Amino acid sequence: MATSKQQHLTAGIDAGSSSVKVAICRSEAGDKPEVLATAVQRIRRRNIVEVVEATFAAACAQAGVDPKDFDYVASTGDGEMVAMRTGHFYSMTAHARGALVLDPEARAVLDVGALHARAIKIDERGKVLGHRMTSQCASGSGQFLENISRYLGVPLEDVGTLSCQAQKPEQVSSICAVLAETDVINMVSRGISTQDILKGIHLSIAGRLARLLRAIGAEHVVLLTGGLAHDAGLVMALRETLEGGKAAELLARSHEDGILAGAIGAALLGAVRCDQLVRMGRTDVLAPRIAA
Amino acid sequence: MTETTTQTPGFTPDRASQILQQARAMMEDLHLGPVQRWKAANPGGMAIGYMPIYVPRPLFEAIGCLPVTIFGGGDQIDIIRGDSYFQSYICHIPRSTIELGLNGHLNCLDGMVFPSLCDVIRNLGGMWKMLFPDRWSSYLDLPQNFALHLGGKFYAQELKRIARELHERGAKAYDPEALRQAVRNENRRRLAINVLDELRRNEPWRLPTSDVYVLLRAGGLMPALEHAQMLEEFADAVRARPARPFDNVRVVLVGAFCEQPPLDLIRTLEKSGCDIVDDDLQLGLRYIESAIDADADDPLEALANSFIQYGAATASRYIGTAEKGAALLEKVKLTKADGVVFAAASFCDPALLDQPMLEAALERAGVPFTAFKFSENTGQFQVIREQAGAFSDSVKLWGTVQ
Repeated sequence: MATSKQQHLTAGIDAGSSSVKVAICRSEAGDKPEVLATAVQRIRRRNIVEVVEATFAAACAQAGVDPKDFDYVASTGDGEMVAMRTGHFYSMTAHARGALVLDPEARAVLDVGALHARAIKIDERGKVLGHRMTSQCASGSGQFLENISRYLGVPLEDVGTLSCQAQKPEQVSSICAVLAETDVINMVSRGISTQDILKGIHLSIAGRLARLLRAIGAEHVVLLTGGLAHDAGLVMALRETLEGGKAAELLARSHEDGILAGAIGAALLGAVRCDQLVRMGRTDVLAPRIAA
Repeated sequence: MTETTTQTPGFTPDRASQILQQARAMMEDLHLGPVQRWKAANPGGMAIGYMPIYVPRPLFEAIGCLPVTIFGGGDQIDIIRGDSYFQSYICHIPRSTIELGLNGHLNCLDGMVFPSLCDVIRNLGGMWKMLFPDRWSSYLDLPQNFALHLGGKFYAQELKRIARELHERGAKAYDPEALRQAVRNENRRRLAINVLDELRRNEPWRLPTSDVYVLLRAGGLMPALEHAQMLEEFADAVRARPARPFDNVRVVLVGAFCEQPPLDLIRTLEKSGCDIVDDDLQLGLRYIESAIDADADDPLEALANSFIQYGAATASRYIGTAEKGAALLEKVKLTKADGVVFAAASFCDPALLDQPMLEAALERAGVPFTAFKFSENTGQFQVIREQAGAFSDSVKLWGTVQ
């Protein structure tokens, strides 16, 4: 039987609304984590179950591990789509844990995904102390940004770079995605540059994110995670917003693997849980190798 | 529940899925098609609707009536006229029940029973009498004195009154032997429900509560024996269904004993990593917690006494303050639950007045819990998902609530 604090090989699968992220980790019950492999695939109207399987297979191949070797496969996001899961963690918990791996100084996380944005206050163990998320309106989310990039005819991956080149950003409605889209159409007809429009949108999203951070009483380092963590324009806009606002003491950071925070966190929480289950004698849910 | 609506060519749903599909179709039929079919197959039979949670169903069956559980309109109808009959700060089920009645959805019912659940249901009974004066309806005053010679005797008189009134309206006369048979059928159904409850308690990954919920909802529209056979067949089929365990938290769901949550709310809890190992959903079918004496010399008295002696501890039943929460703690212990989820209908006075006392009992015992409210037509579950997911992870990882 496995003993506590032994090495665990675990996988985290984050089935989001626009992409699937997988991380394979080795850790000692979640401590001393080592990320062995990662994989990300956009869903793009494909069957999400198939995308999950393909992304998982790609990550396994990259790490050189057999799916049977895992001690725990943890899902987050839409867990029902992850047939091979051992257990499920809520995305907030997973992002909180993953953020600490990416930036041990983080004491708040901004998870900005395709449909929602969420601010999470955490302690040094990654335990969630408080959280707030955007309401049903999509104006603080990646899907909104994706729609705008399509209207403007700009590839999504260029949005951040273009936004950083803005000279005179135009103000966009920060309340409603529908109104914001109308604003954008007006701006295009008025000849406003794409760079300035995108920066205005980033500032609009950043304003909402800053309010979420204030609502949870965030302090010190804030790490961006989720699909928009890579967006240099959003990171810059957030920094400017925080510097100019009441939350000047907050330091916004991003990480190249920010999109993988949920998957990494889930993998490590899986290791924690694996250790707990072994100690509790509840090994029926674990891989036969562990249960034995 | 297991969905089989998008079937690939050559796909054959297993028997359990087929039964679930049938049950779900019954549950979603607001025109009470199963009841209409029963009446067509049983000329002279009367269909008697009743508000949850408990009525003496075997008595109705014994006099040739089909007891039909009315759970309101759920999330399937818009309330237009129903709202004009009630003030804003009450629950949703009376509004949708009035709406169903006025829209003709309940025309196949020959009568209605309004058991003493709360003031709102009492008022609904009064309105029903005024709105549908030609149809039989009755307020069923359930005893709150649990001495057999007082409450039991009173309740037996109530049962006789109902049997007499319905006979005057065309139902069969009360026959002790017919009641004994109806009690046997009800006992068989109770046993079948117990089997499913045990299965989901022991193997929640094999039988999620959302499936049990659908099966029991169908049971409110069919005779006990037919329902028992359906449940027995399902239990056999589901045991043969391939399944493997998941690392979820085990929770007891409390508070939804009258107005029922949308099926998607239950599924949201399950998707959030909660195995619901016990609940008080559709409590009426489980209200009597022991077999009723089917061989008693006076089966009517036995039926009345079963309510007195074996009635479930719930908010609409008097329980001494000192005992509040004892039954819930016992449930938690029996089911080896990790925590409790309180889900009460918004403005449900009985549930929400009891909840602080139940929470206090859980706190004293160190059992984690979370609480939210719903309405039968709740359509957005993100907040509940957020709360249930956070609760599930907290209990799983930290053993407590954040």
